[in-house]
Amino acid sequence: MNGTLALALAEVRRLGRNKRYSIFSVALPVVLYLVIAPQARHASAYGVGYPAYYMIAMASIGAFSGALTGNAQRISQERKDGWIRQLRLTSLPANAYVLAKVIASMVTTILSVAIVLVIGRFYGGVHLAAWKWLAIAGVIWLGALTFAALAVAIGYRFAPDTVQPVAMLVYFVMSILGGLWFALAGWMQKIGQGLPTYQITRIGTGLISGGTVSMTSIGVILAWLAAFILLAVLAVRSTAETV
Amino acid sequence: MSWRPTGLTPVVSFEDVSKVYGRVRAVDGLSLQLWAGQTVAFLGPNGAGKSTSLDMLVALRKPTSGRIRMFGSDPYHAVKSGRVGAMLQSGGLMPEVTVRELVTLVTGFHPRPLPVDLTLRRAGIADLASRRVDRLSGGQTQRVRFALAIVGDSDLIVLDEPTTAMDVESRQAFWENMNAEVAGGRTLLFATHYLEEADQAADRILVINKGRLLADGTPAQIKARAGAKRISFRLDHIDEPTLRRLPALVHLEIRHDLVQIQSADSDRTLYALLDAGWRPREIEVSSLGLEQAFLAITAADNDHAAAPTRAAYAEVTS
Repeated sequence: MNGTLALALAEVRRLGRNKRYSIFSVALPVVLYLVIAPQARHASAYGVGYPAYYMIAMASIGAFSGALTGNAQRISQERKDGWIRQLRLTSLPANAYVLAKVIASMVTTILSVAIVLVIGRFYGGVHLAAWKWLAIAGVIWLGALTFAALAVAIGYRFAPDTVQPVAMLVYFVMSILGGLWFALAGWMQKIGQGLPTYQITRIGTGLISGGTVSMTSIGVILAWLAAFILLAVLAVRSTAETV
Repeated sequence: MSWRPTGLTPVVSFEDVSKVYGRVRAVDGLSLQLWAGQTVAFLGPNGAGKSTSLDMLVALRKPTSGRIRMFGSDPYHAVKSGRVGAMLQSGGLMPEVTVRELVTLVTGFHPRPLPVDLTLRRAGIADLASRRVDRLSGGQTQRVRFALAIVGDSDLIVLDEPTTAMDVESRQAFWENMNAEVAGGRTLLFATHYLEEADQAADRILVINKGRLLADGTPAQIKARAGAKRISFRLDHIDEPTLRRLPALVHLEIRHDLVQIQSADSDRTLYALLDAGWRPREIEVSSLGLEQAFLAITAADNDHAAAPTRAAYAEVTS
């Protein structure tokens, strides 16, 4: 386990040095929030003020893109380059690589989520009880686990030249129909209700408006998490010979 | 065989191992044993099955049939216990970190780690320690990959074509370091298609072609096996069937009036030629290098495999 953690730490260090990662999953949500939240200061969405909704949406976008677009492409590339094979020649357990990627992704997600929440509090004027802050951060953080699992599945399934369009497609469908760019209504909301991205946002807004969490929301997220973990396990297994 | 000390467990054993990809038999009934302290070259042309064999040895691929053992255990557990350090052709490096960070990381995975500075020095990359891994040249990358194979005190080192992409100077430096590595009684198995390298570095050579083991012995034995000498001469009115019947003949080549013979016993071949009443001109007898020996062994194997096809063709046309 120590080896796996050391590998995870190295992965965190790498992500910190990667400009593309820092721009898309840390800087972009922050900039969007700073630009858009003040303009809609008096509007509301999902029963909460717009700055509060948008804070949750942007924190989710950061967590989501960090876990998905960063990881999927890297896994695919490192598989092609043979880094995964190299690791299999060490004493590390067979699943260490995947575990380290997921751990690293979850650790870096904490940072990108925390930054947006802090800006929401001090710039967006969102005031909440301490436990609600923790609960919101926790839900978004666990939601990121769903995408980390999906990233593993995509990274193992697709070659480096096709992984990017696939990840982008998933990213846009999940984020737009999940209501992360703008609050949904009508038919889009009906579709969105089936997506984990939407349900993560609704748990957040539910906590802010009434302090309640819908079981349906949790059920939807867990169902996707289970499905993505299954896909990831199948993808990793199917490549066991050629890794 | 002289290689087999009694009462010891071999470091590596292949027992009738085959690997089939679709209709291709990459490895075809390979059986061999390696013993502690040997430096063994796995010699064969490209596509001979060297990499596939090494991949199976380090548990990256599973044999289609047969059994591989390392230190008396299965390959996977032998690798995980840190007894094997390996450098494969298809192995890659983690980008975005420095050479030192990478070597330090991988050293940490080894149950019997060696000091990082020692590894860097042995691999000849001490001066590259602070460089980013993804900004190295091909030869430098190769040396970093080698460093990852020697980060710990492993009993067996497996190297798949370790000196490709290296210039002559780095290749020499590499083998100097390598000899120091194995001087302490470690076992080394390396694949190569450089005959010179096998001849100089190994005390045992396994010649492999089309997934099968063709020869196994010291460099001297391999050379002898292929026909140790080459006799060449000019001769008018060549009668090929008679030449083919010469004693100790291993390989015969005729171009116009020029005859080249590989012979396991050049004296006997030559006397028989003269006794038969032939009077060849410009006789030269020379020693075969390992290169010719290797070519002779694989050529004989290719001829052998092609023979049935040729026979079938003769039947159809006659």
